[in-house]
Amino acid sequence: MKESVIIIGGGVAGLEAASQLLALGLSPVIIERSDHLGGHVAEWYRLFPDLSPAQDLIARLVDSASGARIYLETEISRINALKDGYSATLNNGDVLFCKAVLVCTGFHLFEAAKKEEYGYGIYDRVITNRDLEHWFGGAEDERITDNPKAIGFVHCVGSRDVKAGNTQCSKVCCMTAIKQAIELKEKFPESEIYCFYMDLRLFGKKYEDFYISAQKDYGIHFIRGRVSEVSEDIEGRLLVKAEDTLSGKPLKVRLDLLVLMAGMVCHPQTARIASMVRAEVDDDGFLRSRDNIYSIVESGRKGIFFAGACTGTKTVPETVAEARAAALSAYRYIKGNA
Amino acid sequence: MIYQGKQKIWSDYQKEIPDNHWFYVRSCIRQNFFPASEKYFVKIVRDVLGKDLFETEHHTTCGGIAYHSDTIPQETAMTIVARQFSLMKEAGYKNLVTSCITSFGNYCEILETWREFPELEARIREHLWKACRREFDKPEYVAHASDVIYKLRGEIAEKAKIRLVNRETGEPLRVVEHIGCHYSKMFPHKGVGGAEYPCVLSGMVESWGGKVIDYPERRHCCGFGFRQYLVKANRGYSVSNTHKKFESMEPFHPDMIITNCPGCPYFLDRWQYVIAEQTGKTYGKDGYGIPALTYEELAGLVLGYDPWDLGLQVHQVAAEPLLDKLGVAYDPAKKYLGLNEKDIMKPGLPTVLKCC
Amino acid sequence: MGKLYDELCKDYRFKEGLHTCINCGTCTAICPAAEFYRYDPRKIVDTVQRKDDAEIEALLKSDTIWYCGECMSCVTRCPRKNGAGLVIMALRNLSAKLGYFTCSEKGRQLYPLTKVLNGNVLNLGYCVHASTFAYEDHPESGPVFEWVLNHKEDVYTRLGANYGGDGPGALRKIPQEDLDELKAIYDETGGTERLELVEKYSLEKAKEMGMTPEEYLKYTFTHCSRGHFNNEEA
Repeated sequence: MKESVIIIGGGVAGLEAASQLLALGLSPVIIERSDHLGGHVAEWYRLFPDLSPAQDLIARLVDSASGARIYLETEISRINALKDGYSATLNNGDVLFCKAVLVCTGFHLFEAAKKEEYGYGIYDRVITNRDLEHWFGGAEDERITDNPKAIGFVHCVGSRDVKAGNTQCSKVCCMTAIKQAIELKEKFPESEIYCFYMDLRLFGKKYEDFYISAQKDYGIHFIRGRVSEVSEDIEGRLLVKAEDTLSGKPLKVRLDLLVLMAGMVCHPQTARIASMVRAEVDDDGFLRSRDNIYSIVESGRKGIFFAGACTGTKTVPETVAEARAAALSAYRYIKGNA
Repeated sequence: MIYQGKQKIWSDYQKEIPDNHWFYVRSCIRQNFFPASEKYFVKIVRDVLGKDLFETEHHTTCGGIAYHSDTIPQETAMTIVARQFSLMKEAGYKNLVTSCITSFGNYCEILETWREFPELEARIREHLWKACRREFDKPEYVAHASDVIYKLRGEIAEKAKIRLVNRETGEPLRVVEHIGCHYSKMFPHKGVGGAEYPCVLSGMVESWGGKVIDYPERRHCCGFGFRQYLVKANRGYSVSNTHKKFESMEPFHPDMIITNCPGCPYFLDRWQYVIAEQTGKTYGKDGYGIPALTYEELAGLVLGYDPWDLGLQVHQVAAEPLLDKLGVAYDPAKKYLGLNEKDIMKPGLPTVLKCC
Repeated sequence: MGKLYDELCKDYRFKEGLHTCINCGTCTAICPAAEFYRYDPRKIVDTVQRKDDAEIEALLKSDTIWYCGECMSCVTRCPRKNGAGLVIMALRNLSAKLGYFTCSEKGRQLYPLTKVLNGNVLNLGYCVHASTFAYEDHPESGPVFEWVLNHKEDVYTRLGANYGGDGPGALRKIPQEDLDELKAIYDETGGTERLELVEKYSLEKAKEMGMTPEEYLKYTFTHCSRGHFNNEEA
């Protein structure tokens, strides 16, 4: 009988880990609480830096994990440690036995309405990065008018913000903002697009080229100043207040659309999941790895492994790499104990 | 604008406000510029709604204006406040209600600072003892008088003689609400509804039948700025900020402004006079201004009290157009009478702003 | 760390107001003073954060720190939980203590403010009182308030105040024993010392500028030179 590994979460990390475990001859089981696989990335349109379609990546991941047993719309009620593994009780009553558990629960998108001064859910033309990706993918959104003349992007919404409850940087939003700014400029070539940032975090392969292209080819304006307040005038246009810190002057910009770059925060279920597998929650709210350099995929508890955004903000390539590492670690652990 | 978005936020910032047994401390600015408002706060809470509201003549200013004009050290300001707490303890009360918003902010700031730095609280206790042999307990609740009226707004609505409806159009009255900066900007959780969309005044307006108008500079300071007004050389700052607010609210055609800070209605009222005299521009219809009322005045109008008892005659901007819209009865001949209907002449009229 | 920075660190408003500033500009974006005055709260906090005593001394002697209106709008939004307005209060406090306030036009205004406000507090128990509110100093209060001031007893009493009377009520006479307690508090907590210091430094400055104390009081209350506002030419 093949040894079983339970994978909590059917997003990018969970799917890639499952596919590796299958190739290694083990029997992965994916438990996914929503009605679809692919997690957050399944809702995305195109991924930086190559602008490759997210759906292609998801299709490929789902395909290579198709040999795994998959539970959708299912949650885990309990995990109990046994002498030689774990048993997991699902909320549909099933009890599963496994040799190891892979936590791939991912992140939660910061609820932009919590930044009240930005008016998400109050003003008619304020949307989030996720709303915009949906729209790029073909969804309708009446908040996006036919011909916006001025568009703004607010970086760091819910990130690097003591009052929002998350002091960490969400890593991917700066690139996403530039990507989306370029995509919007392609849709609305006559519009002026402003990115309001504190710092630009463009740390990966070819990311800086994106920024150069945004400035050179697309004329995107970059204003180094955090948006302080958004309000609505009588025509429904938005008034945004920020300081242009580089010239040291406060400014007000009138916009037809504002995109809030909502950040990655820990999943609200993190504490529950942590207690189930007896892992620790770090002081940034995410799960704590055994260390932050060499053993990110290990939890420090035998048979419990992590992959992806459950331990901290991750890009897609980092998530894929961690999923493979976690699968290999789980495999070696299982074979080592046999 | 999506109204339900605001309601969700309000529910996150519901402040607990006791509904009885208050120790009342007055406001320097209110007493000088809108004394009838304080009279009616006491009357409404004590006589009309039957609550216990206690006042001692021995209380003084909290010193907030002197403190925010940087003329006294922080420890002096804190010890003056400690003395007020001592009076409260002597009288046997635990709920403090302040008439002034700067006071409210001051009391909140001091209590928070003591919470974070207990050694400072200990030092102030020592100061108070050495200075006047007094001891104090910290209040259990600190609320602003507008919080109390907010809490009791339903009871006021039940006894209302007037609804906030524009008789000329049949529509709810268009009301701009202006919240004093020191109410919730420092400590959003101390304000009902938080710092971005405080609902202490909009709650009142809506339960009395009016409609709240949002406009871009709603959260902007009226421009008091303490030293920026008190020193004549600086008043350009103060009038510029009020001017900015009026320019922003103008397209929305409000019928009136409701405020909860004592200073704000003074500035929103008087700077309209100054802007009219200096630039010729007025913001109301036909050369009138937009009346800026205190919440006590509005509550009093709703309960059917006489506008001249409520002190509307000591505003520079004429309230008559608003009173006509609401269908409030008033006797123009009695507007400027003194005690016992004595004739004490009338104020002069501005050259531009239309006044009655 | 310099001596001035260390002094600032003793002020509780500084302890509350400065953690770590990342120069994001959220405070300046929303500041009413930054819009009209040549003022940028972010730059002030950044300067102080650098702990350079020479720069801090320059700030304490400048007009810049006196432009803030203490509305605390900056406190609401800072993502690092700083408070530029609180830092300003600490700077002003130190400038007053050291006498540096007399070096700047806006700083010199501390003299009329201190005299008038604390005169009201200690003599009457109010920060502001109709009996010391001169209409000529406040023409913006309008013809209606000129009328009120000319008929104080009638108007205030008619509006339900207990003007100058015993017992509770608006604008009551605050009993002398309470005013004595306020004086004792000022003496005990350094308030009186501050009033004396401000008087001393201001009168020194008055002499230096060739004015009598009365002339200096009037001058600092009314004089405003060009160059404070953004929309003026240098």
